[in-house]
Amino acid sequence: MKEYDIVIVGGGPGGSMAAKVAAEKGLKTIFFERGRKPGEKNSSGCGLGPRMWRKWPEMMESLTPEKCPSMREGKYARNYLVGKDGEVSCMILAHPTSSVTYEPAKSWITMNCYRSEFDLWISELATNAGAELKCSTLITDLIKENGKTTGVIDEKGEKYMAPIVIGADGAISMVAKKSGLRDKWYHDHVTLVPTYDFYAPREKIDLIIHDETLAVWWMAGGIPSAFQVFFGDGFHVGLGNWMHSWEKNPLDYLNYVVNLKHFQRLIKMLDAKPRELQAHLLPWMPYPEKTYTDGVILIGDAAGFPCPLEAEGIFPAMESAEIAVEVAADAIAEGDCSQAKLKEYERRWQEDSSIGTEFDAGPELWRVWKALPFNPSNMDWFIPMVSEAIGGIFDWSEPHRIRLRQIVGAIKKYLPQAMPTLMNEFVPLLTNVLGDEMDKRLDPQLLMTAIPKLLNLMPDKRKRRNRK
Amino acid sequence: MNIDINNLTKHVVGTKDFIKVNPDLCNNCGLCFKICVASLWGKKDGKVAIADDYKSRCLECGSCGEVCVPGAIQFSYPEGGKGVIYEHG
Repeated sequence: MKEYDIVIVGGGPGGSMAAKVAAEKGLKTIFFERGRKPGEKNSSGCGLGPRMWRKWPEMMESLTPEKCPSMREGKYARNYLVGKDGEVSCMILAHPTSSVTYEPAKSWITMNCYRSEFDLWISELATNAGAELKCSTLITDLIKENGKTTGVIDEKGEKYMAPIVIGADGAISMVAKKSGLRDKWYHDHVTLVPTYDFYAPREKIDLIIHDETLAVWWMAGGIPSAFQVFFGDGFHVGLGNWMHSWEKNPLDYLNYVVNLKHFQRLIKMLDAKPRELQAHLLPWMPYPEKTYTDGVILIGDAAGFPCPLEAEGIFPAMESAEIAVEVAADAIAEGDCSQAKLKEYERRWQEDSSIGTEFDAGPELWRVWKALPFNPSNMDWFIPMVSEAIGGIFDWSEPHRIRLRQIVGAIKKYLPQAMPTLMNEFVPLLTNVLGDEMDKRLDPQLLMTAIPKLLNLMPDKRKRRNRK
Repeated sequence: MNIDINNLTKHVVGTKDFIKVNPDLCNNCGLCFKICVASLWGKKDGKVAIADDYKSRCLECGSCGEVCVPGAIQFSYPEGGKGVIYEHG
């Protein structure tokens, strides 16, 4: 039996961050990784956002291409809109817009790297700070005394005692299960994400993709939308959906995307070859459930923290790790690790973190994603409608006046399908995000005063040009 | 392009079973068949069963255990240091 101040189950970004912060506070800390080293298990590539550098500038500066050769910085996101027939009907290339206020974020959107390198890097920060890392070790149960968790036990029966156990053990969290916080996920609270890694020569990616390092393949025809992320010498292509939403094997959908003509052309241009298949669960929920109990705190994916809009998981894992250790350190110092004391963790992530801010609109954000990229019936109007609006004018077979009338007619045709979704899914989100301001803008008095001005803008009925 | 997934995974094969099936609890909903990315599920003597060589093919996503409402499938992880290895995860 070994004794610690804090035991952390999991050596991903959340677990390692927790171990680093705990060790820096002088707590006797151990963290466990079931793989032979951090980063070789159930994880899939990351796009690190500018907020990582904004929040932890000193730490993130030490993430260099020497430590992490797969790093590739991106400024642009490609959006391929793919119709039911499998043709790319429109492509939108987007970079940070003029309304972005954080200065560094104007020039890049994500830093992509493989988790096999990133997780190792962050675990070394923790061990350098004095935390003990035990790899190739599966933690199989919690030790409880009088119903309170007081340690963990590994597959060989070795016991590790501590007043606080942090569950950083991902979607299939033993800590959540054994502490009674969660047995299984609701089927619409967790997604399955199959991903292919493709190898492609670095110089080809430099030339052809350059800083367009992120792509979304927005799919009509009942296929979940797919993501594509470029790294130093390769890329991931994957897609996800909630557990109850698969009508056939997830890989069938991913193979469909890979075999799109446009995708195949990209593979040829890049000289790309499939290199690895991965599959993992990614919690994606409207609002996290309980994240603490006597002697136990859950962080990261184990707590259900991936962002409710697009399921970014690493930042909330690391942010929750910091909060968890601060709360744990106080609890240990006061000799009270009861759930009444640890409730402070929930208050902190809800009120003082970006996790809480995201989840304040959690149900609305979650519903928007559910209603669009993952909903075949909506994507079947969304893709052609946006394609009409953006691409419709590129036609030189008719006079533009006639062409515009055709485009407006086509867009109008989709409105009966589009309006219910816009009203039911987007208006609630706007109402949540804008709050009182929304009420002000929709104030009937204000609208009435604006109407005469709008009427002035209407042109007089157009006189037909007199042609003799 | 037909991708042969057998060439795309690496494993350090362990000895302990980490997926346990109790066919008596199975209600034949078929979700495990449908959702397994590695296509590990089938039937043996009319009852749900996982492939004999699953330890060298499983991707450890845990979906089978999550989708199984009646609890016929219990998923845990392979012993430490064993199982799938992601070099480009």
